[in-house]
Amino acid sequence: MKIGVKVMPRQEVLDTQGRAVENTLRQNGKQLNACQVGRYVVLDLPGNDEAAAMASAKEMAEFVLHNPLIETYQLEKL
Amino acid sequence: MSVGVLRFPGTNCDRDVFEALEGAGRKPEWLWHADQFDSRKHEALFLPGGFSYGDYLRSGALAARAPAMKSVREAAERGVPVLGICNGFQILCEAGLLPGALVRNRGLRFIDDWVSLRSVNKHAQFARAGGSARLPIAHADGRFVVSDDELKKLQDRGQIWWQYESNPNGAAHDIAGVMNEKKNVAALMPHPERAMHAWMGGTDGVGFFE
Amino acid sequence: MNKTSAEFKSKLKTYRLNEGEYDMICGLLKRDPNNIEWALFSALWSEHCSYKSSKVHLKKLFNKSSRVLESFGENAGVVDLGDGERIAFKIESHNHPSYIEPYQGAATGVGGILRDIFTMGARPIALADYLCFGQPSAHRMTSIVDGVVRGIGGYGNCVGVPTITGQTEFDKSYDGNVLCNAMAVGLFRPGEKVFLSKAKGVGNWVVYVGAKTGRDGVHGASMASESFGADSAAKRPTIQIGDPFFEKLLIESCLEVMKQDLVVAIQDMGAAGLTSSSFEMSSKGGVGFKIHLDQVPLRDSSMTPEDVLLSESQERMLLICEPSKFEALSAVFQKWGLDAARIGEVTEKKTVELHWKGEKLTEIDPDLLVENAPQYQRPFKVLPPQNRVARREWTSKRAGGANAAKCLDLCLRDVRGTSRKFIYRQYDSRVGAATARDTSDSVGVVRLKDSGRALGVVLGCRPHIMRLDARIGGLDAIAYPALELALKGFETLAVTDCLNFGNPEKENVMSDFVAALDGMNQVCASLEAPIISGNVSFYNETMGKNITPTPSTGLVGLRDSVENMPESFFTAPDQLVYVLRLPGFMTGGADQESWGTGPQAIGDLEGRVVGDFVRVARRLSQAPGVRATRAIGKFGLAYALARMTMPSDIGAVIDTEGLKMMRPELDETALFEEHLYEAFIAVDASRAVDFEDAFSAVRQASPTAELHRVGRTVQGSLEIGAFLKVDSAQLKESYNSGWSQNFESLA
Repeated sequence: MKIGVKVMPRQEVLDTQGRAVENTLRQNGKQLNACQVGRYVVLDLPGNDEAAAMASAKEMAEFVLHNPLIETYQLEKL
Repeated sequence: MSVGVLRFPGTNCDRDVFEALEGAGRKPEWLWHADQFDSRKHEALFLPGGFSYGDYLRSGALAARAPAMKSVREAAERGVPVLGICNGFQILCEAGLLPGALVRNRGLRFIDDWVSLRSVNKHAQFARAGGSARLPIAHADGRFVVSDDELKKLQDRGQIWWQYESNPNGAAHDIAGVMNEKKNVAALMPHPERAMHAWMGGTDGVGFFE
Repeated sequence: MNKTSAEFKSKLKTYRLNEGEYDMICGLLKRDPNNIEWALFSALWSEHCSYKSSKVHLKKLFNKSSRVLESFGENAGVVDLGDGERIAFKIESHNHPSYIEPYQGAATGVGGILRDIFTMGARPIALADYLCFGQPSAHRMTSIVDGVVRGIGGYGNCVGVPTITGQTEFDKSYDGNVLCNAMAVGLFRPGEKVFLSKAKGVGNWVVYVGAKTGRDGVHGASMASESFGADSAAKRPTIQIGDPFFEKLLIESCLEVMKQDLVVAIQDMGAAGLTSSSFEMSSKGGVGFKIHLDQVPLRDSSMTPEDVLLSESQERMLLICEPSKFEALSAVFQKWGLDAARIGEVTEKKTVELHWKGEKLTEIDPDLLVENAPQYQRPFKVLPPQNRVARREWTSKRAGGANAAKCLDLCLRDVRGTSRKFIYRQYDSRVGAATARDTSDSVGVVRLKDSGRALGVVLGCRPHIMRLDARIGGLDAIAYPALELALKGFETLAVTDCLNFGNPEKENVMSDFVAALDGMNQVCASLEAPIISGNVSFYNETMGKNITPTPSTGLVGLRDSVENMPESFFTAPDQLVYVLRLPGFMTGGADQESWGTGPQAIGDLEGRVVGDFVRVARRLSQAPGVRATRAIGKFGLAYALARMTMPSDIGAVIDTEGLKMMRPELDETALFEEHLYEAFIAVDASRAVDFEDAFSAVRQASPTAELHRVGRTVQGSLEIGAFLKVDSAQLKESYNSGWSQNFESLA
C-alpha cells in the first residue's frame, strides 16, 4: 500500500526556497500570491490494512521524514 | 572583442573568472542576468560557478530561465564559444544547451578536493592542449547523469570533454565535462580559475582562459 | 508594581530580569517600565547583549597597537596592514542554537559573523570554525556533528566565502553543550572606506533592508543567557532559518551602496534584532531615532510590536541614509532583488521613540539601555598554579604498557588526533581564488590581491591545557597559534576571541575566566598583538554541568608573500631535522587524559618568555634552507613526526642522541608528552651551517631557547630511536581511518 507524505515548511518559519522560486516566477511575469516549496515522499508499505499503513507512515514521518522544528507533514493514501 | 562573463544572483566565482581572464590578457565584460545582450559582441561567453538562486528548486534551474540566457542561446546557435564552470555547467544543462543533468553527489555531501582529469576530446578554444589536468572541485550537485542512449551518442560524436581519473561524485562514465554537438558550448565541474598560479596549488587552469 | 504579586514574579521570569535589575530600571526611568520597555530592557540587559558579568574584566584586555583602527564597540575590529589594505575580523559563538538545531544553528552562526564584517564595508575573504563536540558516543552527537558541519558548509559555500582553517575538539564536557564558534575575515582594498554604526545627521532616514521580519528567535538573546535545563527543547523560540543566497545578495548590494557612498552609518540586526541595532546606533551617534515599527516589512501580519522589536530574523540590516540619496540607494537594492524600507528618521533629542499604528509606545534615552546596563563584579578567586607535580612521575599506560608504535597508532586513530578531512572536505576552501594554504595545513593562508602579501589565519585554545590550568590554557590560546603562524613566517597582527564559559554566577567558573584572560593578556602584550574583537558566551551549562572553560581565539598574521612558505610535512629525503624548543614547562599532553591520571604538569610559563620564543621561531623559519616546520602539539613528538610524513610519504630517522637532548628522561612515555613549546624544522642538508648560524644570530632574543639536530628525513618510514619504526603507509592508513571508526555513519 502506498502512502504519500507531504512535507511543507511551517508557516511561521522562513521558506527560503519558496521565496527564491516565487521571485523568479514574478520576474518572469507570472501572477501569484505566494509560493511554498516542500517535499513529497512516497512510502510503499507492506500489507493491506490502511489504518496500520497510516500508523506506520506516521511513525516514519515523525522518525525522520520531517523536522518538527521547521516542517509539518500530511499523509494521504495513494 | 570582449569576453562576456555572466552574473546571476548567487553567482560567486564571477570575480575569480573575471580576474583569470584579465590575467590571460583577455578583455572580460560583465553581463547581468536580467538583461538580454547583443550576442554578436563577444568573442566568448563564460558562465562562472557559484550558487545561482541558492541552488533552490534544482541547481541552475532558475538561472536557466533568466533573460540573459536567451542571448546566450542566440550566441551558442551562432557558434560563439560558451564555457560553463560548475554552476555554469548546471545552468547550461538546465537550459538544454548541453546534454544530461547534474544531480546530488553519490555521497550526498558537498566535496571540496583536487581531482585528476584526462581529456577525452579536445575543445577548439578552451584548454586546446587537452591531455591531463589537476584541478580543484567544489560542488554538491556534480554527478552527471545521462541516459544510456544519449551517452552512446555523446561518445560517438566526441562530445565527452573531460573524465575523472578517480570518480569523486558518481558521475556517469566518469564524466567531468561535456560539449554540445557543435562543440562550441562546453562545460566542466572542476574550477580552472582556481589553478592559475603555483601558489594556488597548480597552474593547469591557465589553458582554459588563453 | 507590587513586588509580591504573582504578575510581577511572572514578568521577571518572562523577561529574564531579576529584582535588583527591576529596581535599577525604575530608578533610571523614575517610574515603572511599561510593557514594551520590559521587553527592551530584557533584550539589551541580557548577558548576551550587555556583557554584564564580563565587562569589568574585558576592559583589561590588551588592545594597544598603532595598527588598530577600530576595536570593541564596533561590529568587528579593523587592523591596518599598510599599503592601503585593512582587514576586519571577528569570531562569534552560536553554541546554544547549534545544539538545539545543529544545521540552522551553525548556518546562522556563519551568516551572523559575515554580516558583522561586511556591515563595515569589508568584503569577506575567509571563514574559520572552532568546534567542540562531545564524545562520539554521547547522545545525538553523531547527528550534531553532521548537522553542524553541513550547516557551516551549506551557508559558507553558497555565500561564496572560503573556509580556510578550523579546529575541532572532542571531550565529554561538551556532551550536552557543544561549541560552534565562527570567525570571518574581511578585506578593505586600497581606497575602500570603513563604515561605522554611529548614526549621524538629524533629518536623515532610518532604512531597513534585507529579509522581512518574522517571529524567528524572538527572545533569542535572553535565551542565550541562560543555562540549558531538561526543558530546553520545550522553551526554544521559533528556529531562525538562514538563507545564504539572500545573504549573498545582501553582501553585494551593501558593498555597492557603500562604494557609491550612499550610506551614513550601518549595522546588522543580530542578537535582539532591531532593538539592539537601533538603540546602539542611536546611543553611539548621540542622536535620537523616531521609528515606526508598523513600517517594518513583516512576513507575518499578526506580529506584535514586541515581536517586531525582538525578532532575530536573519539577513537584515539597518542603515542611515540622507533623504536625497534614498532613491539611488533603493535602486541598488532593487537591482539585487531586495527592498529598502524607510522606517524612521534621525532626530536631535537623544531619545528613541517607537511608534505603532499611530500610537507612541515609548520614548526613552538609548543610553539607559546601552550604557547604563548593570555591570557585575562576580565573585572569583585568584588561582594558584593548578595540577602541578614536583617531578615527572607519570607513565603512559598506553605506551608503557604496550609499546610506542601501538600508542602512536592509537593517537592517530583517536577522535582527538585523527584526520578531519570528513569535515573540511565539505567546505569550499578556494572560492575567491586567493587561497594559498587550506584546512589540510596548520595555517590557513589567503593572498592579498593588491599587494601580493599573505594573510595567515589560525584558531587557538586547546581544551586539554585549559583543563590542566586556566591561566596556562589562556596563555596557550594565544601562544600556540602564534607559534604556528611564526613557523610559516607570519607576524601575528591581532587577535579575536570568543570566551566560552559556564555559569558566571559560580565562583569556580569566574575564577577560570579571570585566570584565562590573564594568560591571554600576557602573551598578547608580549607579542604586541592586540585583542580587537570577539564575544563572550556564558551559561554553557547543562543540568548544572559546565563545559571546559574554552576561550577560543582567532589570530591573523601577515607575511611579505605567498612564496617560499615552509610546508608542514617533510618534502624530500636527506634533509636535516632540528628541534627548536623552549625548556621549562612539560605536561603529559592530551593523551594523559586517556591514562586515567588526569592532567599533570611540571614548571611554569611566563607570557613574555613565550612571546620572545615565538619571535625567534618566526625569524628562524625564514632562515635559508628551511623546508618544513611544525609545532609539536597535544600528542607529543611521535605524533607530530607522524603527521609530517603525510601526504608526502617522506619520514625521518630520529636518533637516540637527538632524542636525549629533547627528553633527558627517555622512555616510551616521553614520546607522547608535551613541552610548551617545541617545533620540528626540516632543513636542506647543504644549508645546515647557514641555518645554525641564523639561530646563533637570533637566539639572544630568547636566551633559553635551544636548537638541536635530532635526525634526518628518509623515504617511506618513521623511525624514532629504538622505540619504533613504522611504514609511512601504515601511519597514513591509521590517520585516515580513525574518523570512520569513531563515527561509523559519517564516512
